[in-house]
Amino acid sequence: MAFEPVLSRNVGHPEALTVRGYRDRGGYVALEKGLKMEPAAITEEVKASGLRGRGGAGFPTGLKWTFIPKDSPKPKYLVCNADESEPGTFKDRLLMEKDPHQLIEGCLLTSFAVGAATTYIYIRGEYVDAANILERAIADAYQSGILGANVMGSGFRHDIYVHRGAGAYICGEETGLLESLEGKRGQPRVKPPFPAVVGAFGCPTVINNVETICCVPHIIERGSAWFKAIGPDERNTGPKLYAVSGHVERPGTYELPIGVTFQELLDVCGGIWKGRQLKAYVPGGASAPVLSADDRHLRLDFDTMAKAGSMLGSAAVMVMDDTTDMVRVCYRFAKFFSHESCGQCTPCREGTNWLTLLLHRILDGHGEPKDLDLIVSVANQIGGNSLCALGDAAVGPAKSFVTKFRHEFLARMGAAAPALAS
Amino acid sequence: MPTVTINDRAVEVEVGTNLIDAALKVGVQIPHYCYHPRLSVVGQCRMCLVHIAGMPKLQAGCSTQVMKDGMVVRTDTPEVHEAQRAMMEFLLINHPLDCPICDQAGECGLQDYAFKHGVATSRFHYEEKRTYPQKERIPLGPTVLLNMNRCIQCTRCIRFTHEVAKTAELGFFQRGARTEIGTFPGKPLDNELSTCVVDICPVGALTSTEFRFAERVWYLDKKPSICTGCDVGCNITLEHRRGQVRRLKPRFNPDVNDYWMCDYGRGSHQRLTALPRLQIPQIARKGGALPAATWREALDLVARRLEHGNASGAVAFLGSGRLSTEDAFLLATLADQVASPHRSVAGREGPERRIPNTHGGLAGRDTAPNRRGAELAGLVPGPSGIDARALLAADRAADCSVLFVADSDFGPEASEPATVERLRKAGFLVVMGWAETPLSKVADVVLPVATPAERAGSFVNVAGRLQTFAQAFPAPAQVKTPVEVLTEILARFDAAWAGLTEAQVFDRLAARVPAFSGVRFEAVPATGRPVGAEPALAATVAGGGEP
Repeated sequence: MAFEPVLSRNVGHPEALTVRGYRDRGGYVALEKGLKMEPAAITEEVKASGLRGRGGAGFPTGLKWTFIPKDSPKPKYLVCNADESEPGTFKDRLLMEKDPHQLIEGCLLTSFAVGAATTYIYIRGEYVDAANILERAIADAYQSGILGANVMGSGFRHDIYVHRGAGAYICGEETGLLESLEGKRGQPRVKPPFPAVVGAFGCPTVINNVETICCVPHIIERGSAWFKAIGPDERNTGPKLYAVSGHVERPGTYELPIGVTFQELLDVCGGIWKGRQLKAYVPGGASAPVLSADDRHLRLDFDTMAKAGSMLGSAAVMVMDDTTDMVRVCYRFAKFFSHESCGQCTPCREGTNWLTLLLHRILDGHGEPKDLDLIVSVANQIGGNSLCALGDAAVGPAKSFVTKFRHEFLARMGAAAPALAS
Repeated sequence: MPTVTINDRAVEVEVGTNLIDAALKVGVQIPHYCYHPRLSVVGQCRMCLVHIAGMPKLQAGCSTQVMKDGMVVRTDTPEVHEAQRAMMEFLLINHPLDCPICDQAGECGLQDYAFKHGVATSRFHYEEKRTYPQKERIPLGPTVLLNMNRCIQCTRCIRFTHEVAKTAELGFFQRGARTEIGTFPGKPLDNELSTCVVDICPVGALTSTEFRFAERVWYLDKKPSICTGCDVGCNITLEHRRGQVRRLKPRFNPDVNDYWMCDYGRGSHQRLTALPRLQIPQIARKGGALPAATWREALDLVARRLEHGNASGAVAFLGSGRLSTEDAFLLATLADQVASPHRSVAGREGPERRIPNTHGGLAGRDTAPNRRGAELAGLVPGPSGIDARALLAADRAADCSVLFVADSDFGPEASEPATVERLRKAGFLVVMGWAETPLSKVADVVLPVATPAERAGSFVNVAGRLQTFAQAFPAPAQVKTPVEVLTEILARFDAAWAGLTEAQVFDRLAARVPAFSGVRFEAVPATGRPVGAEPALAATVAGGGEP
């Protein structure tokens, strides 16, 4: 498939890690252009591009920026969500490690558009290399006059701080992230008020994912029409990073137009490994409901995935071959969510734990057929009732695995778990 | 003000009112655990989920505010009931269900909602309950014990220490199903208001060391009353079993103590059992014996001595801040009757007791609840009158032919040998009170009276607020109320005083003392009302700030 990489164009070009090298490869042109535009015009351009949030929810990015109150006397903040903790997801890591200035440029343009003088990049603690690379790039940008009191001589002031997380999935949830950023226990806040009104330190705050922000310079440089032309339709536009893991010949991060089909993506990755057959795939990280081999021709975009009862999420595609033990996968996912539940709201705290216990019993061969109905019922009791999206995230895999692969669960009743396949 | 419709009933509410409060206005109770009107809204327990027209999911009533007209809410749809049932199931699967040995049983939010919103069967058949080993009885501080197994993680206690007490001793530890409440190393839960966390704990996770295992709550008689610990006058519920006070709990009054009271006040009832009780009138014989007498003998003797006392010296009256306003008025009237200027209130300042309320808070300094009321009612010395200081610190009792001490337990001095010896220098010493103290032992006449719990009356607090209280339980057989004793003495001078009730005495006080003008005892609101020169007294209201 012929597709000129956009977001990952500097991958394989380590010279782009410096300001000079990045500029040599065409960087900071968008910033120069953007700083001469009206801030509102940047927002309009992003709105027109159809860019939707790449963190998982797919909310229109330009629209999100307009929620920042214009008349607030408080400082405004941009928070870049680089927590990337959805299981299976490693696309933002690539962007930060291989092209940090693209992110810095995106942060500057976004901040200029919304009037923020400060960006916090909240990065997961495990990304030590990425954080170090970012910090070096930020120091370089300060030296080069790209950050600081006078960004590229425009009079716009901007500072970027890298804030390292301490290893909690819930700190990728935007309000949990804000609490953690403020030095508190990372647990989500009640919404409303939304972060656009009351965000970091009580001030209006835009929170965008790394990949989302990295799209912005390209939209400004090449125009919204160019961006919009990529992708299958008006609602799903632009280049997209797919983080492919699991039973494929060549796992990795692939940049393709949004809306390629799963089969096309699979072909790019060299197909299922060891000559085996596809059993199932998860299209958007652990919280996306599983799809079966029959769904291989579906387009990997926001709306197609939602229609299929799953979600594009972070586009972390986990591929499972025909030897995969679906009961064990389901249990592992459930265990992850119960371990990462912050514990403040009743359905998520108690419900995810209950699901894990039930699945563990089935995995051990002590399940009963009625337990499957109980799993669905408990999942339904969590779904829609929890304080934040983590509860809903835990429900998706549990329900989809149990309903779509019910026969595998039933086969496990009364039979102990086989040893892990290699 | 916007109008919201809840279960087909429309109600107008202030902008920003949450749905739990709005629903109460139309008599609809939305179940909740984590929400408390004085704590920040966290939306954690998910019991208050309601249906709002136009919303795809159920919404938490606590965190949904009425901002504009037209919101249509239902709390009675099958989806809402199902969500409530689901939350109850989640809360109960890991709960120990140890109600038979739990102090909270009978006043437990889990029990109440389990009956109202839960189902009686369990689907948690084979799994093991989550427990917190070794965390069944953790002393969080001197007054509160934590049983983590019973906790439902509503975080009311945590938020109380952060937002009301502002001491922030409690926090959340661990996460997910292992989440627990705890203190930080070396920082126990130890503040003036600490036991309030037991009141707001909806389950039996937090229990008070004082009340723990003292009584099953359904045996308690609960009466509204006023705390006598200091001059804030916290509104309380006095809980007793057959006259044995078991527990004092704060009673909501936004102008005084809001939902709170201090640990000192909470323990103030222990005084009732710590001191021996005066049971029967006594008249001293030569040689120091103090045998029992009849009320008629005792009161006749006191009246006779008062009447003729002026001939051989001063006739002095020493009141106390623990007298009710009515007692103080009667004592002052008695002094008028014998034309004595020697009348005053004993008392001393104690440590400051700060109680937060909706106006910022009140700071109590006096160790007695009603010094202000007693002084307003007339217990202030006339010209060259012998006052409390002269009696207690100087030796002026020696100048008294008769000294009438209206409270045997007027303060710690009543038990100090030096003070007792000083007061004993009076020619004839009358001691009224409920407690036997070293002072009452040396009296010529002892008049046993009811405790504040055993009688009705009124107090005026530090901010000049008049609050009435009712009798919680009757006094022992031989004991009269102070109002009965004082009116019977007065009746020996003027028959018009005979047989007056507390309310009738108060109404006479209101007719005579300008500060109480126009106030009727029966018409004092449940939350009290300001009397006297309140603006001047308002200076004692502790500084502003959020409640």
